[in-house]
Amino acid sequence: MSYTLRGRIETRLVAALAPLLAAAGLSAALAEWWPVELAALMIGVGVCLDVVAYHRLLPYQPTWLAVPLGLLELGVVMGLVFALGIRAPLGAAIAFFALSWALAQALVLAGLPLVRLSYAEDGGELGRPGQAATALSLAVVAFAGGIAWATRPPTVHLSAGVHRGPIVIDQEETLLGDPGAVVVGGIIVRADGVTVRNLTVRGGENGITVDDADRVLLDHVSVSDSLLDGIHVRRASVTVRDCRISRLRSPYAQGIDISFAIDHPPSMVEGCTIAGGQEGIVSHSANAMIRDNRVARTSLRAITMTEMSMGMVDDNDVRDARGIGIYCGDHSMCEIERNLVTGVQPDRASQGGVSDGFGIVSHYYAEAKLAYNHAPRIRAFSYGTIEHARG
Amino acid sequence: MPTHVAIVGGGLAGFVAYATLRHGGLEPEEIAVFGTDRDPVGAWRPRAEAIRQRAMRSESDGHCLPTSFPGLAVREALRRRTALPLLLSAVDRYHPSVTDFLDHVAELRERSGWDSSFRAAQVARVHAVEGGFSLEDYGTFRHVLLAPGHPGLAFPSELEEDPRAVHAYEPHEYADRVAVIGAGMAAATEWLNALAAGASVVSVRRRDPLRRPLNLPRPMFSKRGLALFHATAPEERAEQLRRFSAPSYPAGRSWDEPVEDAARRGRFRVAAELNGAEQVICATGFRRGFQHDPLLARLVADHGLESRDRWIVLAPDSTVPALTDSTRTLSLAGVPGQWAYPAADTLVGMKYAAHGFLRKVIACPTP
Repeated sequence: MSYTLRGRIETRLVAALAPLLAAAGLSAALAEWWPVELAALMIGVGVCLDVVAYHRLLPYQPTWLAVPLGLLELGVVMGLVFALGIRAPLGAAIAFFALSWALAQALVLAGLPLVRLSYAEDGGELGRPGQAATALSLAVVAFAGGIAWATRPPTVHLSAGVHRGPIVIDQEETLLGDPGAVVVGGIIVRADGVTVRNLTVRGGENGITVDDADRVLLDHVSVSDSLLDGIHVRRASVTVRDCRISRLRSPYAQGIDISFAIDHPPSMVEGCTIAGGQEGIVSHSANAMIRDNRVARTSLRAITMTEMSMGMVDDNDVRDARGIGIYCGDHSMCEIERNLVTGVQPDRASQGGVSDGFGIVSHYYAEAKLAYNHAPRIRAFSYGTIEHARG
Repeated sequence: MPTHVAIVGGGLAGFVAYATLRHGGLEPEEIAVFGTDRDPVGAWRPRAEAIRQRAMRSESDGHCLPTSFPGLAVREALRRRTALPLLLSAVDRYHPSVTDFLDHVAELRERSGWDSSFRAAQVARVHAVEGGFSLEDYGTFRHVLLAPGHPGLAFPSELEEDPRAVHAYEPHEYADRVAVIGAGMAAATEWLNALAAGASVVSVRRRDPLRRPLNLPRPMFSKRGLALFHATAPEERAEQLRRFSAPSYPAGRSWDEPVEDAARRGRFRVAAELNGAEQVICATGFRRGFQHDPLLARLVADHGLESRDRWIVLAPDSTVPALTDSTRTLSLAGVPGQWAYPAADTLVGMKYAAHGFLRKVIACPTP
């Protein structure tokens, strides 16, 4: 078909109407904005490509070309989803895109030519019904955007200087630290959808406690001098990104402890630097992905997944840990890939047991799948298993 | 119900217009079709048979239905229970067989009520009267679509009395040494036919043919190409139409390999002039221009209609501007509609004129 520019845009917006309405319904049902954000992003990417590329490059578009163009748009949309931090589950986002694309193809090839006699000869233009549908699509986007704007969580700025804690957050909001902002006495998060960004936290029982909350983002936080854990997560789902944790005051404190969250969405710890503590990053009964972190000088284990945890430990740099570098224990299922473990020292209290300076350990019915790790002394104990998948 | 819509011409263009009007809600008794042959392919079929045409040049949407979907590929896929026609259509390689096309026309003819609207009559003159058009003794109609078809076969004048000469679209067999004049689709088909019959072939042509899948570049079938075409000045537009009428046929091995093989064996060559062939096949198409059609020539003369070179000047929707207003419509479909749609003599072009005509009829219902 040889589209006019107007025909391309009208056709795209009409085809996007049903997915957009479905996304609005989905957003309402899930109390999440990602479906509408994803749908709006699909429309935006599509219209931009129509204007910038397709119209100029494709005076005629054969039917088969819809497949590679669809894949191109999928790639761009998913790249933007990641870049903009839209919290869309990957599988659901791809499924939504695929269904929308299939519906658009059905409309372009069958539906629109059936209801509009001159659809092909008009280059995809749809006349007044097309203008109405286009206006409706834009209205839905504007309406959803307006609601999103009106109901967006408030952003609380902490100015430079010291703020007394503990700060308790019990509603959805973004706590944003200006350069030089410091909270002394810890932060406690008890609401879904909270974001804490660009803050230094000193002291407190735990540096940051997340309790019974999902969709919590801790981004660029620096925690030190807490009495117990640096970041303490219970019955919650968090994303911890680019954090720094150091100078934990108790010898039994953990850097990041995510526990008892097996029935919550997976948590992610990424890009953090943790120095000291009994365990650097530990999960008990949780789904977790521990990726691209630097953990050093822990006194028991650097990274631990235990008590029926499930998840991935990959691309981490573990240095100078005492006892064990990476531990998968107690019925947990761990995929451990591309980690670098160096300088592990035996725990003298272990007396030749499981903590005798091992790089990676699978213990007590745990199942560890290993690939491409660089670690000394990899060992399974007490019915734990190790499978070398690759490398 | 009063009959207020007339189609003059019972060929494919008239048939497509009829099917479109029926799709638009008009009943058979509201439409009068004037023609000399009840069979809508009565003129087209003998030509296809004469050149032994087996597949259409058109693609899936080369049918007579008012909507482009479902096309002939979908219908064949459903009938044969295979996705192959759809896959071929997706890559622009699907060409329905002539048999399938004829079956489709027969089925649509039966279903549409065509025969009940058909009146065997040759309309020789259309004259504008207040609120409509008088078709001689056959009555006055508010909306008339003229689809007279091609105004006869084009024959090189120097061959008119030559007993060796036959037009490609007339029944013929093949001699041992055949000259084929022309370089379009019919000529290329005749090269293959004559070679397959064991003849030696001389292709007589003044220029090399264009190779393209359809009669015109694809954007010219939609508003994308038409918008620029409609915006050009009349002289330039006429020049474009002359360029568009240059002979062409599709690229592809099925066309090239038999010719190349025969050329290697000395059975095919190209020449600029005739030279001693036993048989001369004139694949020279049709006479060109409204002046060769008595009905159109008289219409232009009677009403002083604007024309340019061999084309009647039309509005973009294929109506005659001077004779179309809020109370009446005169449209041209098929080859006379090229001023509005350069590919007017294709099935897609016939639909273009029919869609425009239907819009006018709907906008101006019977009081």
